[in-house]
Amino acid sequence: MSSDLLVVENLRKQFGGLKAVGGDDGLSFSVKEGSFVGLIGPNGAGKSTTFNLISGVLEPTAGRVVLAGTDLANVRSSDIASLGLGRTFQTPRAFMSLSVLDNVLVGAKSSGENLRSVLLGGWRSSEPALIEKAKAALTRVGLEDRVTETVSNLSGGELRMLEVARQLIRDPKILLLDEPTAGVDPSLQGKLSKILTDLHKEGRTLIVVEHNLHFLFSIADQIIVLQQGELLSSGTPQEIKTDPKVVAAYLGDEHAA
Amino acid sequence: MNFEQLFLTVLTYGCLFSVMTVCLNLQYARGGMINFGTVAYFAAGAYAYAIFTQEPPKGLDQYLFGFDAPWWIGFIAAGVASLLFAIITGWPTLRLRGEYLALTTFAFAEVLHSFLLNERRIGNGSVGLSNVDRPDFSAIGLSENYGFMLSAVLLLILTSLLCRRILASPYGRAVDAVRDDEVAAEAVGKDVHRLRFEIFVISAVPIGFAGALYAMITTLVSPDLFTAEVTFFVWIALVLGGEHTIKGVILGTLALVTFEEVVRSLHFETVRAAEIAASVEYMMTGLIFVMILRWQPFTRFAKKGATP
Ligand SMILES: Nc1ncnc2c1ncn2[C@@H]1O[C@H](COP(=O)(O)OP(=O)(O)OP(=O)(O)O)[C@@H](O)[C@H]1O
Ligand SMILES: [Mg+2]
Repeated sequence: MSSDLLVVENLRKQFGGLKAVGGDDGLSFSVKEGSFVGLIGPNGAGKSTTFNLISGVLEPTAGRVVLAGTDLANVRSSDIASLGLGRTFQTPRAFMSLSVLDNVLVGAKSSGENLRSVLLGGWRSSEPALIEKAKAALTRVGLEDRVTETVSNLSGGELRMLEVARQLIRDPKILLLDEPTAGVDPSLQGKLSKILTDLHKEGRTLIVVEHNLHFLFSIADQIIVLQQGELLSSGTPQEIKTDPKVVAAYLGDEHAA
Repeated sequence: MNFEQLFLTVLTYGCLFSVMTVCLNLQYARGGMINFGTVAYFAAGAYAYAIFTQEPPKGLDQYLFGFDAPWWIGFIAAGVASLLFAIITGWPTLRLRGEYLALTTFAFAEVLHSFLLNERRIGNGSVGLSNVDRPDFSAIGLSENYGFMLSAVLLLILTSLLCRRILASPYGRAVDAVRDDEVAAEAVGKDVHRLRFEIFVISAVPIGFAGALYAMITTLVSPDLFTAEVTFFVWIALVLGGEHTIKGVILGTLALVTFEEVVRSLHFETVRAAEIAASVEYMMTGLIFVMILRWQPFTRFAKKGATP
């Protein structure tokens, strides 16, 4: 039996009076190492906020997040990332002054990032291998023809794939993707679904927020449903599809069709 | 003023101030940090140089420290002083965004200025320290003017090489990433605060060296020489140079220094003509300020890094 890689306990986040995550009692769930979790819920359910709390972009109002045994309270988001957590953002984020290739390279942990090796030039020998890795990541997400372009030429969907590539090069243990298919054209969605199942097979843990349930239910092995910041239900895709609570609150029309 | 003299002056001061704009370029255009207290790091270097190389106080001297050290020790001390001042001022302020950082660095520079003005025991107060020691160039067969000009050129070359080395590395890539999008950089494990702090501190060192060189050239350090005007001057030069490339900012600085020196060297027949020339210079400076405001380089980075 694999153990819990991520534990969320009584997590709450309020923005002023708005209880975005956790309602009054807090949100709790856990994610086993190597599992593929789909996080779903209507708009404003608190999915992205949950990601922001786990990745340290936002501070929780209460509760805690434990990643691989480390309590993440007061751990900075860059350190959380270094613990092996990768994430993408609902609105894709790119480094606008850098090329597509450099955008991916930023994700790599290069030896050239401390001043000593910069001044001594010691980083140069490791750079070609990183560039190859970055190109491989770009090929994997279907951006192999855009390597030298500036990111301002990329479409919204391509920026999303670029973000995935930037995370791939880091080799994260657990990857949080916020609506990876939004704005990505259907031909690439197949590619994305393949990437995700491959990552899963490689033993990585995935949590994916998606509105495209068809896409998600075919690849995830566990679904967590949020509603107004609170846990509505959780289980296998099959269980969720037939859960009367979920059907009533959320899936209703979509699955009737 | 003859042409050779003008040429030497322009090149010496042009390179000296270019050292500052190249460093500011690293801090601002690449690091995204607005340092509006540039003069303070320059002053720290100049005063450190003067204090380390002057004789110990005697008689009526009001200053407390003088180590009578050789010029090169004073020069190193200048870099260290500027570095320390950058650590002290950078540590608490670098988490601030855009114009807040501009305000606090400006305030730090004003505090240092009034400290130097009122604290006689460090730099003789408003009188300053005079007869600052200078290296002897005759040993290598150079006249003083050429010696300082070559020193300034050399310092600029070394500073530019250092900046280029930093920026053309994965380190520079990370610095660019942090400036473009802090949150996304953190999401791939970049220690945003460490990177910004290091860039801020490193780029202060050549500014300190420039301060030492300035003290050697003028042989005087006094609070009057280190006012916010110096900061404005290098900022204008930076904007003139188009802010991004090392070559660009050097050209911008040389152009501005040339302009000022040429105006200053003009010979006026009457007092009236000199007055007009002076006001034209003010107007030009004002015009350049308006251009800065028009382009709004400061808000460009403030807009980025909005909340996720
Ligand atoms: N930084 C913020 N400040 C204030 N309110 C916020 C902030 N971020 C999110 N909210 C609010 O918290 C609630 C949950 O938002 P969140 O973005 O987590 O929802 P979501 O489930 O990701 O929705 P969507 O499917 O539309 O992306 C919403 O009501 C949102 O307006
Ligand atoms: Mg969302």
